[in-house]
Amino acid sequence: MALVLLENVVKSYRIGDQEIRALDGINLRIEEGEFIAIIGPSGSGKSTLMHLLGCLDTPSAGRMQLFGRDLTSARADTLAQVRNKEIGFVFQSFNLLPKIDVVRNIELPLLYSGIPAGERRKRAIEVAESVGLGARLNNRPTQLSGGQCQRVAIARALVNRPRIIFGDEPTGNLDSATGEMVLQMFRDLHAEGRTVVLVTHDPDVAAVTKRVIEIRDGKIRREYNP
Amino acid sequence: MNLWITLETGLREIAAHKFRSFLSMLGIVLGVSSLIATMSLTNGIERGTKAFMQQVGGLELVTVIGKEISAEMIEFANLSPGRTVQDARAILASTSVVTEVSPEINIGALLSSGPISQRMQVVGAWPDYFAVNRHEIAAGRFLTQLDVDRAAHSVVIGDAILKRFWPNLPADDAVGRILTINQAPFKIVGVLKVYEREQDKRMREIVKARQPQMTSRAQNRWDPFRRKNESVVIPLSTMFFEYKSGQLPEDSLDSIRMDNLSFRVGDLDRFRETLSKVRNALNITHRGVDDFDLQTREEWFQGMEASISATRLSGGLIAAISLIVGGIGITNIMLASITERVREIGIRLAVGARGADIFLQILVESVSVAFIGGIIGIAAGFGLIKLLIAVAPSENVPFVSLDSIVISVVFAIIAGVLSGIYPALRASRLDPISALRYE
Ligand SMILES: Nc1ncnc2c1ncn2[C@@H]1O[C@H](COP(=O)(O)OP(=O)(O)OP(=O)(O)O)[C@@H](O)[C@H]1O
Ligand SMILES: [Mg+2]
Repeated sequence: MALVLLENVVKSYRIGDQEIRALDGINLRIEEGEFIAIIGPSGSGKSTLMHLLGCLDTPSAGRMQLFGRDLTSARADTLAQVRNKEIGFVFQSFNLLPKIDVVRNIELPLLYSGIPAGERRKRAIEVAESVGLGARLNNRPTQLSGGQCQRVAIARALVNRPRIIFGDEPTGNLDSATGEMVLQMFRDLHAEGRTVVLVTHDPDVAAVTKRVIEIRDGKIRREYNP
Repeated sequence: MNLWITLETGLREIAAHKFRSFLSMLGIVLGVSSLIATMSLTNGIERGTKAFMQQVGGLELVTVIGKEISAEMIEFANLSPGRTVQDARAILASTSVVTEVSPEINIGALLSSGPISQRMQVVGAWPDYFAVNRHEIAAGRFLTQLDVDRAAHSVVIGDAILKRFWPNLPADDAVGRILTINQAPFKIVGVLKVYEREQDKRMREIVKARQPQMTSRAQNRWDPFRRKNESVVIPLSTMFFEYKSGQLPEDSLDSIRMDNLSFRVGDLDRFRETLSKVRNALNITHRGVDDFDLQTREEWFQGMEASISATRLSGGLIAAISLIVGGIGITNIMLASITERVREIGIRLAVGARGADIFLQILVESVSVAFIGGIIGIAAGFGLIKLLIAVAPSENVPFVSLDSIVISVVFAIIAGVLSGIYPALRASRLDPISALRYE
């Protein structure tokens, strides 16, 4: 069974009387354990696609199936639950909460899945240690470097043991050495058998994946294996 | 999401913006403190009024008063003997609910003892007088039936009389002394308890503690208990034989008109029924002449109660308005704080928070603000009451009741919930992507 199945998916935005098709007839199938890069020029619809795949949004037309469930016109609460249980996100701009410390940031998804406090903490610390943040548990994000922030974000994405992990330009705000290190973490995740989808501009990032999907003007232009 | 964590998150948010949180609480603080203050004030007034009502005889006390006879009945006026001792007996005989009746004759008389003389009101009465008027004895005894039967020269005096004639004599030592009333010597058999307002009592204690000779400042003011304290009571028979007989040859103790006639209804549940029985009995003794009326304190007491509820209502209204204003303040600041936290909400939504989680988070935050405001308001209300007692003492000492605390907390929480609903709804309807993009 495919983890992700998109059939003729369209996402359009209406600005005044003008309709923008950010995605225009996407057909895509992702299997368990794949390591995929989505590339394309700015404005081509990469982020829009990732938001759909990540259940942050629903398509305007077409059919979307995740983990065997049809989510084409799912309710907001259903999508929230899928995001919480099955999906991990890593954003370009980290998107950490600045007012709480590292452990609490990592715990955040667990808060919304009804896991008791002790268990929450234990799992958050475990994941923090696995990404090399064992010494910074009680620091706030403002006290960390960009690379460390992105590692917190990765830990947060992993803490709920999701079935698929998305990264939207996860190395975009980092210098090349740090970016390289973060990229290595995604490779390791893939090596452990997880499904990873990265959105990127960067051909070097795309080159480490197993399958590259190139998008242009909301359509899949080509697909290749590097 | 777990409520405890939600609460903790809310409290952290409040703590992170102390000044802003304080500003948003201010309205609630004012509302709750004014609620506490007005409730305490009315509590005090109510307690004082109830005590006053009890001391003046309560609702059970009914007075038979004389009434103008209507013009067409005027020629029959002489048929009625007016209010007499017969009436008192007729009232007792008419119903078992009335057990105490007090017929009274009042005269102004010259009281003297040694060098001191003073004109005072003297009451001739039955022993029931003391029960009907809720008197308590401080020393000696009340008048008895024996005093009345024998027309004894016994007198019971109020505390003010004792102070006037024997300024430094304890009540116990006054018993047995002689007080002359219009030249006739009377033996003091009892001294009544002093009746005073709470405030005067406290004042007296303070004065006693500091300077024994200093006279109380409150003495010149209107004192509802002055008449009670100035009581001079002798047996009704003695009053008649000593001061009233011989004025008209046909007068007897049974036919002489009373100056006052009152009785006590033993069972308030049978008040109306008792009054109509009494009325029937008096119609007979008055030979059908409509020259009397029964005066109850219902209207008077109802008036007092109505003015208490009016005070309560207007105070409550002021408090309600400040609570509404306080609630609007919270709504305002919550809306501002949500605008500031759109991104945070987006992040929470992205990791799986549902609309309901966000709704609850904002609501818990506004309720916490209101609750803390309420607690501060209660403390401020306490302070206000303390200040009020210190600055403007009154006989109706205000006091904070548990009720008013519970009501204040409940109202603060309601204000918090109501003011949080709209901001919480707005926050919970944010779309995750636009919230994440928000700068
Ligand atoms: N909320 C929106 N309203 C209107 N148009 C939108 C909205 N979101 C995206 N778009 C449009 O959809 C198109 C695709 O946007 P998208 O963000 O997916 O591009 P992208 O490939 O991620 O670009 P970049 O590499 O710059 O991040 C763009 O033309 C964009 O203007
Ligand atoms: Mg993008």
